[in-house]
Amino acid sequence: MSNAKTTTILVVDDSKVSRMLSRSFILHTHPDWIVEEAITGEDAVTKLATVAPDLILLDVNMPGMGGLAAIVKLREISPDVRICLMTANVQDATREKAHSLNVQFAEKPITQARIDHVMASLEQA
Amino acid sequence: MFQLTELQHDALIELFNQGVGQAAAAMSQIVREEVTMSVPLITFQTRTEVAQALGGSQSRRICAVTQIYEGAFNTEAMLMFPEDKSLKIVQLMLGQTVTMEELSDMEQEAMSEIGNIILNSCMSTLANISKKELHGSLPVYRIGTSDQILGSVGTQWDGLVLTLKIDFNIEKHEIDGYVAFLLDMNALHDLQAYLEQYLSGIVS
Repeated sequence: MSNAKTTTILVVDDSKVSRMLSRSFILHTHPDWIVEEAITGEDAVTKLATVAPDLILLDVNMPGMGGLAAIVKLREISPDVRICLMTANVQDATREKAHSLNVQFAEKPITQARIDHVMASLEQA
Repeated sequence: MFQLTELQHDALIELFNQGVGQAAAAMSQIVREEVTMSVPLITFQTRTEVAQALGGSQSRRICAVTQIYEGAFNTEAMLMFPEDKSLKIVQLMLGQTVTMEELSDMEQEAMSEIGNIILNSCMSTLANISKKELHGSLPVYRIGTSDQILGSVGTQWDGLVLTLKIDFNIEKHEIDGYVAFLLDMNALHDLQAYLEQYLSGIVS
């Protein structure tokens, strides 16, 4: 992560409340960061034409292609982008898929501590 | 007549206890308060009887979030609150930074997400314990009497369903709600096989 550029996070979630909470918790700790939002996997793919996020926070169960399928599409456009699944679907099967797709995994509900933990891993990168 | 053995019945309660324990933890993180939950109560009833037990057409209106799960066994999972408490729950979730007008606008959306988290938390625990995957649908939000809610979700078939009902309580705010899992006869046989597999795993 370069210090020369403002860090940008893309939050992808069909739940407006979840996007709102993620934004609020990210900006609470990092008020100078930029938070962009997308409401589906398809929307996130479109957003990558104009936004170059440092990290994508990605829900799993969404209308349309869903988070797991979106990872493949997002990586086609931006192969090196860091992705973290943030989901209520905390089944081992979902964790294993996240691991095999080489993305981070974080549980919902979204809390300040969980967001801080994910963002800390980004800062250490 | 479908019947679980004593051991299967015990295993079912224990599995859902663990699932509900996780759901209570998730609920507690959402509302930032202690949440207590009852031991699951298992009943075999028709959908109509389930609705009647919850108050029927005379009941106060409830808001319900429903998700259909398919996989090792199929079930209709429902999270229900009295309608007049849902705004308070959303307020607890979002904190004091949001105006009442914004809260009202977001109520349905926020309750759907809360349902999604609570129900997934419980079902994920069941899936993880049994090493089976369960696929959940997107949450559906409804408001109405228990008659309307039970009649408006899933199939219209009124055969026997197994209901696991768990009461939960956010004492500080006098909020009671419940989670119910409905399984029809086809799903019950899958559930029985699922329990047998779980039990044989313990024995071996």
